[in-house]
Amino acid sequence: MAEISQTAAAPAAGEPATAQARSAKSRRWVGYVAFLPFLLVIVGYELLPLAQLVLDSLIGKESGTLGIENFVKVFTTPLYQQSIINSVWISLVSAVVGIVVSFLAARFAYESSERVRSAFTMVLNMMSNFSGVPLAFAFMILMGNSGVLTILGQQWNIPFLADFDLYTGEGLLVLYIYFQIPLATLLLLPAFSGIKKSWREAAIILRATPLDYWFKIVIPNLMPSILGTLSVLFSNALAAYATAFAVVMNNYALLPLQITSKFKGDVQIDAATGGALAVVLIILMVVCTLINNYFTKRASKGREII
Amino acid sequence: MSSKTKAVEAAAPGKKTPLAAKIFLGIVGLYLLVPFLTTLVYSLFVEWTDVLPSGFTLRNYAELFTNSTFWLSIGRTLILCLVSVAITIVLLLLAMYVVVAVNRKLGRFMQFVCMIPYALQGVILSIGIISLYTGTGTILSNRMFMLFGAYTILVLPYIYQGIRNALNAIDANMLIQAAEMLGCGRFRAYVQVVLPNIVSGILVSSLLAESIVFGDFVLANNIAGTNYQNIQVFLQANMARSSGLSSAIVVVIFLVVAAVTAIVLKLQRSSQNR
Repeated sequence: MAEISQTAAAPAAGEPATAQARSAKSRRWVGYVAFLPFLLVIVGYELLPLAQLVLDSLIGKESGTLGIENFVKVFTTPLYQQSIINSVWISLVSAVVGIVVSFLAARFAYESSERVRSAFTMVLNMMSNFSGVPLAFAFMILMGNSGVLTILGQQWNIPFLADFDLYTGEGLLVLYIYFQIPLATLLLLPAFSGIKKSWREAAIILRATPLDYWFKIVIPNLMPSILGTLSVLFSNALAAYATAFAVVMNNYALLPLQITSKFKGDVQIDAATGGALAVVLIILMVVCTLINNYFTKRASKGREII
Repeated sequence: MSSKTKAVEAAAPGKKTPLAAKIFLGIVGLYLLVPFLTTLVYSLFVEWTDVLPSGFTLRNYAELFTNSTFWLSIGRTLILCLVSVAITIVLLLLAMYVVVAVNRKLGRFMQFVCMIPYALQGVILSIGIISLYTGTGTILSNRMFMLFGAYTILVLPYIYQGIRNALNAIDANMLIQAAEMLGCGRFRAYVQVVLPNIVSGILVSSLLAESIVFGDFVLANNIAGTNYQNIQVFLQANMARSSGLSSAIVVVIFLVVAAVTAIVLKLQRSSQNR
């Protein structure tokens, strides 16, 4: 509205019209002032820090010149190679295990009565907050060197529990799977409401076995939601820091731990290597987000029939 | 609305819960609860070196609640929660005014920059800020400045979503145009007509943001560390020293966050019913 009146008023040289145009223009200009504080904070604490990391990664540690020296170093040093591999491995396995368990959980919750479903959702909501340092501590009490389950395992002779070592990659994996399950189930539950009861009836009439029904109708239909959730879980595990740090400190080759130790090192700050590792993590996260966006769009497209 | 809920009910296969579902959900629920319940029991007993714990005690809690470092870290955490969420709300409300009343095209840009922190999360954010400002010798290299800046960005996606959904729900643009026709200025219309209508929407997302700041370890540990210990850093520092005390801290943290979550769920449900 204001735009039209402004352009219409401008050519007319009449005194009052110009004054009006000027006031409209100044009002528009004043309007943008409200955007400035937001812009300032975004630039100062989001965009510039990101740019700084990219810059850190591109200035060679030894040569001090612009180039990919740091990336070459990252991809040829065993510790950093291992960090990338471990991070991707733990994230992938925890995401896949998480999605399988939560798919079944969401399916059963969906088939349950309202009362059971809301009780289960309540547990999910509460326990999805149980992560990071508190979660790490709880698992130490449970499965640490003198943990409750470890002692039970020793007394009842269950080698899996007695010999379980929380302070390794497998230990971290158990923790990561734990925090993936509530998140994944909460994300998957709404998708099930798109499955119509009539589909099952139709499938039965057409002589589909229950297996056919699940693998040829339900799962393909839910695929966009499943893959979208999978990418959320993957990036969730990829960026997780507190849980891992609380359990193994910096003594394990994992991307977030290695990155942080380069900037907060007890020894010396190594922004070049840290920056390059950070950029690797950023790229992995961005790819995840793009995958998720793609599938979220597809999932919502499929449901627009209603 | 009522036909929609009926359709959902009809689509849900059973009113009765099948046995398999009960067993599976029971196992998953138990699995999720066990770590916390173990910590809770652990915090209430003197020792747990046998199958069953022995010697009920409230000693850990007494020790925790008389520990001044604990109260200081709680105080710091609350300051961080309240101040950074408040800053983010003000920044976003001002910026959203521009999107709603001045230039809609900025909406795209805002959505993009507000979603970046969601994709990147704490580690990248904290080290980026450290790398940029540490050692610059300006006021920006002050740890507190960095920390509040970082939290403001961390909660951005959540509060942005809340405000945007609330603005869309009431059709803010139309309200402002209507107020303008009645001779009210745009900004005044935004403050006096639009804002009172979106308070409840902002409330839910702000509470969610509070619980995120409350549960944060990465930013606090990386940026401030022991200089400004929040509750999570306090817990981490105590973990190796005293497991009894730490288990009490874990229980307290969980109960606070659970209470906030319960309020959020309740508010969401009542707004859905309306």
